[in-house]
Amino acid sequence: MMLRNPFTKALWDARRAILGWGMGIGYVAVMYTAFYPSISKPAFASALQNYPEGLKKAFNIQDMTSPAGYLGSYVFGLLVPVLLAVFMIIFGSRAIAGDEEAGTLDLVLAHPVSRPRLLLSRLAGLATAVLFACAVVYLLLLAIAGPTKTSAVGAGHLAAMTVQLALFGMLFGALTLGVGAATGRRSAAVGAGVVVVVFGYFGNNLAPQVHGLGWVQRLSPFYWYLAGKPLVNGLDLAGCAVLLAVAVVLAAAGLVRFRRRDLAV
Amino acid sequence: MADLAIHTEQLTKMYGKRRGLAGLDLSVDTGEVYGFLGPNGAGKTTTIRILLDLIRPTSGRVELLGGDPRRDGVALRRRIGYLPGDFIVDGKQTVTELLTYLGNLRGGIPRERVTTLAGRLDLDLSAKIRSLSKGNRQKVGVVQAFMHQPELLILDEPTSGLDPLLQQTFLDMVREARTAGQTVFMSSHVMSEVQQTADRVGIVREGVLVAVERVEDLRERGVRRVEIHFEDPVTVEEFAGLPGVSDVTLTADVLRCRLDGRADPLVKAAAKHTVIGLLSEEPDLEELFVTYYRGAPDDAA
Ligand SMILES: Nc1ncnc2c1ncn2[C@@H]1O[C@H](COP(=O)(O)OP(=O)(O)O)[C@@H](O)[C@H]1O
Ligand SMILES: [Mg+2]
Repeated sequence: MMLRNPFTKALWDARRAILGWGMGIGYVAVMYTAFYPSISKPAFASALQNYPEGLKKAFNIQDMTSPAGYLGSYVFGLLVPVLLAVFMIIFGSRAIAGDEEAGTLDLVLAHPVSRPRLLLSRLAGLATAVLFACAVVYLLLLAIAGPTKTSAVGAGHLAAMTVQLALFGMLFGALTLGVGAATGRRSAAVGAGVVVVVFGYFGNNLAPQVHGLGWVQRLSPFYWYLAGKPLVNGLDLAGCAVLLAVAVVLAAAGLVRFRRRDLAV
Repeated sequence: MADLAIHTEQLTKMYGKRRGLAGLDLSVDTGEVYGFLGPNGAGKTTTIRILLDLIRPTSGRVELLGGDPRRDGVALRRRIGYLPGDFIVDGKQTVTELLTYLGNLRGGIPRERVTTLAGRLDLDLSAKIRSLSKGNRQKVGVVQAFMHQPELLILDEPTSGLDPLLQQTFLDMVREARTAGQTVFMSSHVMSEVQQTADRVGIVREGVLVAVERVEDLRERGVRRVEIHFEDPVTVEEFAGLPGVSDVTLTADVLRCRLDGRADPLVKAAAKHTVIGLLSEEPDLEELFVTYYRGAPDDAA
């Protein structure tokens, strides 16, 4: 029964959003992967070769000819992680701050439910949503690997990439949940999420080209998500550890404040 | 202090610079129905939300069912039923879904208990919350507060939005709760809502408890309109001077007057004649209450 506890209830209430976003992100991943056979043709590759290096770096398009290079820049490099981040920003900011602003949080917390339990339930809901979306992406890409000539990547490296993607998404879930729990304001949570996506993206792709700003790249979640090239090298444990640790710290910081503060009416 | 269901000492709450509570001393006995009365903005909701640990006091002590709302919150809230002043829930679910979920948060509630309560209040369990009128939504709030038969019911302006017939049903439920040994703490800004059921009323004004009265005592002191039908004509003079009697009017053999306090002198005077009928209204405690609202004379400055 889906009405058992705050965790299952959160999943039940968000069932359509979780399905819709999971399918949508999976669809985008499939569409972009399907272009690979035409882009990998030699003529196309040599045309790209002539693009300025800076431009290619800015848009994350470098090694275009191998399936791993293509998937890493086109599929996992921009649209899929950004969509997943947007999904998590919407879902994470709703989880506590949204309910509080709507006025529905009061009643649940007037029941025998502690604030840590509520926050952890909602965090688990976010994690489930991320895992669902990433599983959809993984299974679809695996299924079309043959026809799209991307099977050289291999199931293991594709799985590694998806794990990094899941941790990347979870970071945004924890960020917006944490800011929302700490402030009770949905706009603050959304704002924090959007700032990190935008600055994270440009910080990762543009900062290295500016002399002396290379270190900025390391502040970006995109860096820890992509830099280890999991499609080529397999799971990047350092990257995973950083993403996970930051997510845990953000959620924990939100919880510390959430436990102490007054709930808005 | 074990026989106190709720006890606060010098409870204060500031919302930034705004006063929520300014040193509230409250004692609610186990097993009584306590009416927590005060005008809008007096601090009733603030007090109640502190009891449920939804907000935290600025200073002062709170004891609830022998525990601390902050430290023992989860265990205490298991024993409490709460009806918020604004009962807001997600509108996309049905009444049954909501009540099942809330019941599960308390470890499950027998289904008959919910259907019985809903039947009494004439509440459609299969309706979507969104489609319910304000009054029907309030009924859902009443059901979820009562359904697990909690030791302590904390009700914030419970009758707001209920039509008069349902208010009576609700008051019956409060009386039954008391009979069953449950404690009821209910807030209101009108005396008439609590005077029928409450054992005691506490009057809160500007964040302080200014008076606590037994409703019985108030009733004795209350003003009521009395009408007496005599067999033979009587004179106004016989009654006008009696203690507590005022506004005497006489039409043929019907005497009408206001009675302030005990009925004894009036009854004894009437007994000298043949009385055909006697009509006495419930005393209007609102008047007494309004004098507390306005504050003691020392506040005039
Ligand atoms: N969240 C809040 N922020 C600022 N002031 C508040 C807040 N909640 C209540 N107050 C103020 O505290 C006082 C008491 O309010 P409340 O407890 O809601 O009164 P009541 O329930 O008796 O009408 C009022 O003056 C109100 O304006
Ligand atoms: Mg109120």
